[in-house]
Amino acid sequence: MTTGDLATFLSAGVRTATPLALAALGELLVERSGLINIGLEGAILAGAFGALLGASAGGLALGYLAAMGAGVVMALIFAFFVLRVRADQIITGTALTLLSVGATGTMYRALYGSGGAALRVPTSGSIPFPVLSRIPVIGPAFFDQPLVTYIAYGLACALSWWLYRTHAGLALRAVGEEPEAAAAAGIRVVRVRASAILAGGVLAGLSGAALVLAHAGTFAEGMSAGRGFVAIAIVILGRWTPAGVALAALLFGAASALQFAFQAMGWQVPYQLFLAIPYALTLAGLAGGVGRSRGPAALNRAL
Amino acid sequence: MKRRRRSTIRLVSLALLASCSTKEPSDHAVSAKPDTGTEKRFKVALLTPGPISDQSWNGGAYQGLLRIRDSLGASVSHIQTKTPAEFEEQFRQYGAQGYDLVFGHGFEFQDAAKRVGPEFPRTIYVTTSSSTSGANVAGMEFAFADASFLAGLVAGSLSKTGILGVIGGTELPPVKESFVAFEKGARAANPSVRILKSYIGNWDDVSAGKEQALAQIGRGADVIFQNADAAGLGVFQAARDTRRALIIGSNSNQNGVAPEVTVGSVVIDLPHAFLSVAREVKDGQFKPRVIRLGTSSDVVSLVLNPDFAARVPPAIQHRVDSLRTEMRAARFSVQAGER
Repeated sequence: MTTGDLATFLSAGVRTATPLALAALGELLVERSGLINIGLEGAILAGAFGALLGASAGGLALGYLAAMGAGVVMALIFAFFVLRVRADQIITGTALTLLSVGATGTMYRALYGSGGAALRVPTSGSIPFPVLSRIPVIGPAFFDQPLVTYIAYGLACALSWWLYRTHAGLALRAVGEEPEAAAAAGIRVVRVRASAILAGGVLAGLSGAALVLAHAGTFAEGMSAGRGFVAIAIVILGRWTPAGVALAALLFGAASALQFAFQAMGWQVPYQLFLAIPYALTLAGLAGGVGRSRGPAALNRAL
Repeated sequence: MKRRRRSTIRLVSLALLASCSTKEPSDHAVSAKPDTGTEKRFKVALLTPGPISDQSWNGGAYQGLLRIRDSLGASVSHIQTKTPAEFEEQFRQYGAQGYDLVFGHGFEFQDAAKRVGPEFPRTIYVTTSSSTSGANVAGMEFAFADASFLAGLVAGSLSKTGILGVIGGTELPPVKESFVAFEKGARAANPSVRILKSYIGNWDDVSAGKEQALAQIGRGADVIFQNADAAGLGVFQAARDTRRALIIGSNSNQNGVAPEVTVGSVVIDLPHAFLSVAREVKDGQFKPRVIRLGTSSDVVSLVLNPDFAARVPPAIQHRVDSLRTEMRAARFSVQAGER
């Protein structure tokens, strides 16, 4: 493996990790409030579709905004059913994903016909970071990426601080551990949870936008391709901490990049083995490393 | 496992949406010609394994269905399916609704057609890329090999690095066969050529398609032959972003998807193939058989992008043309069977 190969591999890893990290950081907030949103997959797909609509109508900025808006719509539906109607979280989340797969597919065909959007969606190019991007090998991989990747870095740092160093962060953690005690201490549990769900929706939408506007340049039905479920695994692998989640996303991204690289090297091995690498690694991580850690105590407890 | 779970999701979501969607093209029955009233309407259905907006395999079949509607005045219906259980269920649904002709578009549909066919003897089931036939079951085989061989010949002669790439969705037999023929064609142009082969693992992850292509481009591939439907759009995008590779498309004419980087496409004229079968069925002339379509019938052909024709060396252009003539006259064929 040459340094060129290494640089290609690393930057593919970072690109693949970006949408996963964004979605997983959002889900982290939701889970820290004691809820679990299985509808993440659907929210990413809705975000991707929103990005397509926004960017086609008014350029990149509108694309990102519309994507976050679509994520918020999905989050509002989840919040309404879980917090107001007190429906089962797993069933609500599953229904949301189903709804999103069907609704985006139907609207896509209705609006774009059988020809689809082709490759006409504008994409945001990469912005090299001054100085840092010139570090050999890791420079281009980590610091010559689209803006949304830098947002993911920033978010991981900001959330680490916010969660452990602010009153609001403490309130969120308290709600996720002991909602009754938090309520007795004067924290408005439902409001905290609703805020966490909405923030999760914004980030899921941004994750979808990253797929469409920073990478693919088009929309395809079902293009989220299971990333929402992977992101939920990443939250667990990252032990419910922002830094851990960011690293776990990077690990999964790197494992995917390894799979791309191995296939392109032309080894005579059944390709299914390569495709399994990221999932096998995640599973190994979950089984090996997470055994000792513990999720928020109120996670998925009936409200 | 992943595919199966997502397909289940799709099935249930379609069921959910059936009640609330007004413009689901999956189930429309549009009339092109006024109903004669006396005669029963000719009804044709299509099952595709992926979205019809892929500008490739599924899109071409949908165009075929529309052409049957417009040319034969048929009442048509389309549905997107994924798992074998769905294939059989939908085949049964259409059989029970008295459809005259049902297409299952892809290799993966043939077992379901074989099982369901005997239950509905009045319906004719045709599956593509398959070699089955029965009392009312027929297969349609596309001779991908000839056109893929020509694509390989062009790719091999255009490559400056001597490294080519092929990218597929999953390793379905027709895809594999096409890649084998492509490799033979490439070696005919340049015996020392290297071929990198990658599979995305599904047909709709555009982002992963792009990454597979970027990885191949990183390894020096400068002409990539892709057959990955919607996910293949990502392969075109990778070439557009890097400008370090040229693409050859598959199934439909994809020369317009990214004209600046597309050499040509191995095109199956699905509309033509579907219409000719439907016409036979409508006229009561259809005999269940395996229908072999290829270069000699002009159903499968390499269509070069006119913008690129000038960049193909005249000698190779000439060789492609003369081989094509030989293939049409059935004097030359790629033995894709040997591996």
